[in-house]
Amino acid sequence: MNVDASIKVTIDPATCTGCGLCILACPVDVIRFDEAAGKAYVAYGKDCQVCYLCEDDCPTHSIGLSHDISNSRRYSVYDQFGIDF
Amino acid sequence: MERHEADVLIIGGGFAGTWAALRAAEVGASVILVDKAYVSRSGASTMSGGITTCPLDSDDLDVWAEEFITRGGYMCDQRWSYQLLEGQRERVKDYERWGVPISRDDKGNIRRFASRGMINVRGMQYQPKAAMREMRRRITDLGVKIIDRVCITDLVTSDGCWPTRGAAAGAVGFHVHSGVFVVLRAKRTIVATGMIAMKGTHRVDNDTGDGPAMAFRAGARLIDMEFTFGGTFNVLMKRYDFPSYNVAIAHGARLINSKGERFMEKYDPVRLERSELSHVVAAFAKQIIDGNGPVCVDLRHVDDTYWPDIHRIHRGGGILLSEHVPDPTVTPLPIEPTWGMWASGRSGLQIDLNGRTNVPRLLAAGSAAKNDATGTHASAGSPTAFCNVSGWHAGDCAARESLEEQLPFVPEETLSALRDAAFAPLGRKPGAKTPDLLHDDLARLEASVVDGMVLSGERLQVMLAVTEDVSRMTCEIHAQDLHDLVKVHEARNVAECAGAVYRSALDRTESREQFFRQDYPYTDPSWFCWHGIRRGEQGFIFERIDFPTDGVKFPIKNTEAGLGPIGAIIRGEALQKEHA
Ligand SMILES: Cc1cc2nc3c(=O)[nH]c(=O)nc-3n(C[C@H](O)[C@H](O)[C@H](O)COP(=O)(O)OP(=O)(O)OC[C@H]3O[C@@H](n4cnc5c(N)ncnc54)[C@H](O)[C@@H]3O)c2cc1C
Ligand code: SF4
Ligand code: SF4
Repeated sequence: MNVDASIKVTIDPATCTGCGLCILACPVDVIRFDEAAGKAYVAYGKDCQVCYLCEDDCPTHSIGLSHDISNSRRYSVYDQFGIDF
Repeated sequence: MERHEADVLIIGGGFAGTWAALRAAEVGASVILVDKAYVSRSGASTMSGGITTCPLDSDDLDVWAEEFITRGGYMCDQRWSYQLLEGQRERVKDYERWGVPISRDDKGNIRRFASRGMINVRGMQYQPKAAMREMRRRITDLGVKIIDRVCITDLVTSDGCWPTRGAAAGAVGFHVHSGVFVVLRAKRTIVATGMIAMKGTHRVDNDTGDGPAMAFRAGARLIDMEFTFGGTFNVLMKRYDFPSYNVAIAHGARLINSKGERFMEKYDPVRLERSELSHVVAAFAKQIIDGNGPVCVDLRHVDDTYWPDIHRIHRGGGILLSEHVPDPTVTPLPIEPTWGMWASGRSGLQIDLNGRTNVPRLLAAGSAAKNDATGTHASAGSPTAFCNVSGWHAGDCAARESLEEQLPFVPEETLSALRDAAFAPLGRKPGAKTPDLLHDDLARLEASVVDGMVLSGERLQVMLAVTEDVSRMTCEIHAQDLHDLVKVHEARNVAECAGAVYRSALDRTESREQFFRQDYPYTDPSWFCWHGIRRGEQGFIFERIDFPTDGVKFPIKNTEAGLGPIGAIIRGEALQKEHA
C-alpha cells in the first residue's frame, strides 16, 4: 500500500458565496478573502492540516479536501526499517 | 498600536482558556480572551477525540483517585487528583444542562466505558466541537471580550526584564491579518495556549508551545519537561490519516503484529491495548525491531457504536473511508505511532491548586501546564478534564485576586522594544533558510519512533544543538509576510520548549516511565520528585521538588530501583511488577 496523494484543499469559486465562514474556521490561516472576486481563496495551501474545520462550516459545500494524506513532516518507521505492505 | 485593558487576560481559547474566561466573568472580572486563531475553531480542544473523564454523583471518587495516584506512580499532588474529579463532575453536569451531545445508552443514561490505562476510571464520548461552540457562545453572553487572530509574541513584565523580578503585566502580539501591534495590559494573565508540539504531528499546528515558552522567558518554572516525550498514535501519518487510537481502543479495537499475535497480551494481560500509551508504543517498536511488522489495528472487533461515533467526530472517518485501503471491517490496517513532544499535561508550567505559577500575577491552565492530578500517567479523557478544571480554578483565582488591585504600569520603552522585536524578521534580508525550513529541522528531531524512544546523553546533545541553531536562526531569519512572521515566532517557541525538554533530559540521570536513557537504563529512587527548570539571571536553574504531603490520602510510595518499563520492553525483559 503506497498512498501518495498530496495534501490539498480546494475552493470552488463557482459555488462560493464569499460568506467567510471558512476563513474564520481555519486554525492555521490557510484561507483568505479575495476582495476583487468577493470569494474565499486558498492562500497558503501547503500549510493545510486537513482538519476539516472549514469544510464543516461551509454552507455551500464549496470546499474539497483529500484525506489520503502524505505528510511531508512525518517519517515512516516502515520506511526506516524497509518494511513494505 | 491597539491597546486593551482588563482585570484578567487569558491567552488561548481552548477548553482551558474558555473555562477560565467563563469563571472569571462569573466572578465579576472584566475579561479578555485572545487567540491566534478563532476561538472554538482552533487548538487541540476542537480537534480532540471527544473522550473525557466522567465522574457522576453515584461514583466513589476515592476509588478513582486511588487509580490516578497509583497508576501515576504517586508522582502527583493528591489534592489535585480530588480537585480534578470533583470539578469535572460539575463540568459534565454543565455540558448535560447545555445540551452538548453526549453518547448515551438505550435508557438515555450517559454511556461510560473504562478509560485507556484504567480499570475503574470511566470516560464518556461527547462532541468536542459542539462543546467548544457552546463555550464561545456562553462566554460571549457573559461579556468576555474575545480577540481572535492575534498572535501573542511575549508576556509583558512589570520591570521590563526577562526573567522578571517583578510580575506579569499582560502581553503583546500582532493581528495576523492586518499586522496591527496589540498591547494587552492586565492585572492577571493566564497562559492557556495548549500543548507543546512540533508542527506536522497532531493536526494542531497552531499549538507550538508559545505560552510555556513565553512564560519560561519571563522566569516561570517548567516541570518534568523530559516527560514531554512519549508515544502516541498520531492522526497524521506519513502515508495516510487514521482517526483517534483512543476512540478505536475504547470501542474494542485490537493491535496485532504480522504473525497475527495480539502482542500486548505479553506486556499487559489485563488492560492490553488500553495500557499506558508509552508501553503500547514501545511494544509496537519492539515488534518492528524484531521483524514482526507491520503492526495493524484490527477493527473487526469494534462494537456497533464505533462507526457512527467515528464518522461524527472525525469527518469522513479519515482513512477508514479512503479508497486506497481495503475495507477495515474485514482487513486489519497497518498503523504507525510517533514518539515525540506531546505535552498534554505530562509536563509544562508548574501551577498550584489555583493555577498560579511562580511568577507573580501569572497563571496557567490546561495543557500548557503540568497536570498534577495524574502523575506521569494520564488516562484517555483526563487531559480535557484537567483543562476544564484547571481553567475554572485559574479563572476563579485570577478574577478574585484582581478585583482588589490596580492595573500595572508598563513603560512605553518596554512596549516599543517588544514591538520592534516582534516585527524584526519582516525587515531582514532573505537568506537560505525560510521559517518553513526551520520547522522541518525541528520536526526531523522526532523523525523516528524508535530513535526518539531510546535516548542517550550523546543523542540529546545533538538534539539540543539543533534547537540552539533554530533559536539562533530565528534572530536572523527573514519573514516575507505576516503569515511567515507567525511561523518565525512559532519556531522560536518550539525551539525554546524543546531546548528545555532536552536540557531536563540531560539533567535526569536515570530512566523512569516513558523516559528511557540507554546510558542510564535503571530507575533511581532519588529522582522521585518534580524536576524543575527555569531561567535565572545567570543561566538555567534545575530543581528537584518533593511531592506535597499535605492532604495525602494514599501513603506515597517511592519507585523501586530497576529497569524502567521502556528499557524492559525494548530488551525483551519482563516488566517490573508495578508496571505490568
Ligand atoms: C488529535 C487529538 C486528540 C485528542 N484526544 C483527546 C481525548 O479524546 N480526550 C482527552 O482528554 N484529550 C485528548 N487530547 C488532548 C486534549 O485535546 C488537550 O489536552 C486539550 O484540548 C488542550 O486544551 P487547551 O485548552 O489546554 O489547549 P488548546 O485547545 O490547544 O487551545 C490552545 C489555544 O491557544 C491558542 N494559541 C496558541 N498559541 C497562541 C499565541 N501565541 N497567541 C494566541 N493564542 C495562541 C491556539 O490557537 C488555541 O486555540 C487530544 C489531543 C489531540 C491533538
Ligand atoms: S482543512 Fe483545516 S487547515 Fe485545511 S484549510 Fe480547512 S480549516 Fe484550514
Ligand atoms: S465557507 Fe464556503 S461559501 Fe463561505 S466563503 Fe468559504 S468556501 Fe465560500
